[in-house]
Amino acid sequence: MPETKQKKPIIQLVDVYKEYRAGTISTLALKRVNFQIHREQVIAIMGPSGSGKTTLLNMIGLLDRPTKGKIFFDGLDVLRLDDKTLANLRNTKLGFVFQTFNLVNRLSVFENVELPLIPRGIPRGVRAKMVLDAIIKVGGDESWLSKKPNQLSGGQQQRVAIARAIVGKPVVLLADEPTGNLDRASAKVVVKTFLNLNKAGHTVVVVTHDPEVANCMDKIYVIRDGEIIDEYSSNKAESLINKV
Amino acid sequence: MLADFLRLSLKALSERRARAVLTIVGIAIGPLILVMMSSVVGSYSEYIVERITSLGQNAIAIFPTENYRLDAEDLNYIRTFDAVKRAEPFYNTQGIVKRGTEETKVSIFAVDYNLLFEAIGSLEIGEGAIPPETDTLSSIIGRKIAFKDDTRHFSLHDVLTVTVPKIEGGKITGKKTVNVVVSAILEEYGGALIVDPDSTIFMSLEAGRRLLGLDKWSGVLVLADNPANVKPTVSALRQYYEEKVQIIAFSSIAEAISSVTSAITFINFSTSLSAFAVAVAGVAATMITSVMERTREIGVMKAIGYTNFQILLMILLESIMMSLVGATAGISTGVVGAYILSSRGFRIGGIGESGITLQLNPLITPTLIIQTLALTILIGLAGGVLPAYRASKIPPVVALRYE
Repeated sequence: MPETKQKKPIIQLVDVYKEYRAGTISTLALKRVNFQIHREQVIAIMGPSGSGKTTLLNMIGLLDRPTKGKIFFDGLDVLRLDDKTLANLRNTKLGFVFQTFNLVNRLSVFENVELPLIPRGIPRGVRAKMVLDAIIKVGGDESWLSKKPNQLSGGQQQRVAIARAIVGKPVVLLADEPTGNLDRASAKVVVKTFLNLNKAGHTVVVVTHDPEVANCMDKIYVIRDGEIIDEYSSNKAESLINKV
Repeated sequence: MLADFLRLSLKALSERRARAVLTIVGIAIGPLILVMMSSVVGSYSEYIVERITSLGQNAIAIFPTENYRLDAEDLNYIRTFDAVKRAEPFYNTQGIVKRGTEETKVSIFAVDYNLLFEAIGSLEIGEGAIPPETDTLSSIIGRKIAFKDDTRHFSLHDVLTVTVPKIEGGKITGKKTVNVVVSAILEEYGGALIVDPDSTIFMSLEAGRRLLGLDKWSGVLVLADNPANVKPTVSALRQYYEEKVQIIAFSSIAEAISSVTSAITFINFSTSLSAFAVAVAGVAATMITSVMERTREIGVMKAIGYTNFQILLMILLESIMMSLVGATAGISTGVVGAYILSSRGFRIGGIGESGITLQLNPLITPTLIIQTLALTILIGLAGGVLPAYRASKIPPVVALRYE
């Protein structure tokens, strides 16, 4: 990766702690996390269940605020931003992909994918073109647009969810266990889609507990008990894509 | 953007069609009752007040009690009031007219013709002309005496045989028949609720005295120069006569009836409010359930950049749309119901031979429709605001974790 891109992180977490309280019981989900993501990186965050992967992703995705510490997004101190500004940042700079796709079943594929464009006030004609572009980017075609999500396979639904995440041309694409509900063939297609999007300039952060998926990315961060305990370059030979 | 939000809200409603329809039915009951009852009560109220008002807002009727006899001295006293334009005595009795084989009860009113037509401005001659005051054989008859169900029984110059009480020495001693000639037939009046000109024979004061043998004035009809002077004149007369006479100002009756109809309208409105209150609870229950079911979806919306306000707006639009459909359905069925209810008619007894039956179109005004619509939309807002607010305030991570 060029040196210039490494200099300015798009997302930076400084001594971040996250504590959840339920009555008198408190759980420390993140402990002193220091973490940076640079533009056009494609990274994996790995760890067992309950290790704090999703909590970390929520912090990166501006969905949650830390109990302690600082988060900077493109140089902005996130803790100083109000809910409206955060929503606007999520809408314009971030794209989310979830394990269970989280598509709205009553809406067509077209209506699902155009959802992030509505708050921006983009005219419907322009939206139609952007939606089609996004569907094509994830390997879909025009015939998908009028279908309801439940008329598609799991892999196709996840690609629709990715299209929804990238339709607004976000800087960072965040995926939480995106292959968790897919068979290996579909998972491979989805991972390839992420890699292609990274080549197209998107920064990609994938949370997974699947080493084969993690090895598809450039760098792997390992999280356990709320702490990032290791970071290393992936072993492409052990990746989902290279394994038959 | 609002159009897109409307579309999304409509899709959300259509997904839970059965629940939405039931909620809409619940909402529709309020506007249905309000429109149906208000328009029917409104039309009858307006008609009754209008009829009372038509009797003349500056007319005052003075009736002596049993132990008091009004005479020329009283008349002169009444005429001394500056506000009194005219004051004339009248005789009033009941009679029976024979129409073929049928006998019909009628009122007989002997009064100065000019004063009569001045006091009741909307009284109009349909056929013939007002006879001279000196003509004690002629009369003016009401429409329902001359006609029955569009069948003519009496024409101009016909002689009517009327059976009236025979009065000797101020007491009823039997019955007698008198003949009067029809000089004029009135246009249909429609019933003024206090008097019924359609079933009345009007004759001159002198005819009343001579023909009917009446020697004790039934009362004095007073005309004030201005409706504003009616109340002070009535007060002064009451003060003077105390319990000796009963004084009725038509304007006061109109006022009293107006108050009664206002009270009925208020009671009707309050009853409708109960239906509206139930609708608020219905909308709130539906929207709370809807929000709970879509918590995860709301989390996704927030994750992809919808602001709290936009979430609030979308949820509120759903309840407003249900209200709009409910209002349209309720108002439409209310209008139909009002016509059905009105078509049954409304009988007012105690007037004329068998009372009068009013059959009026409901008073459906743009104001009533707009007010009902606004109130129903308010119901949607009231029912939807809490669930919408709660939805907008759910933290996105909490919403996304929701199972």
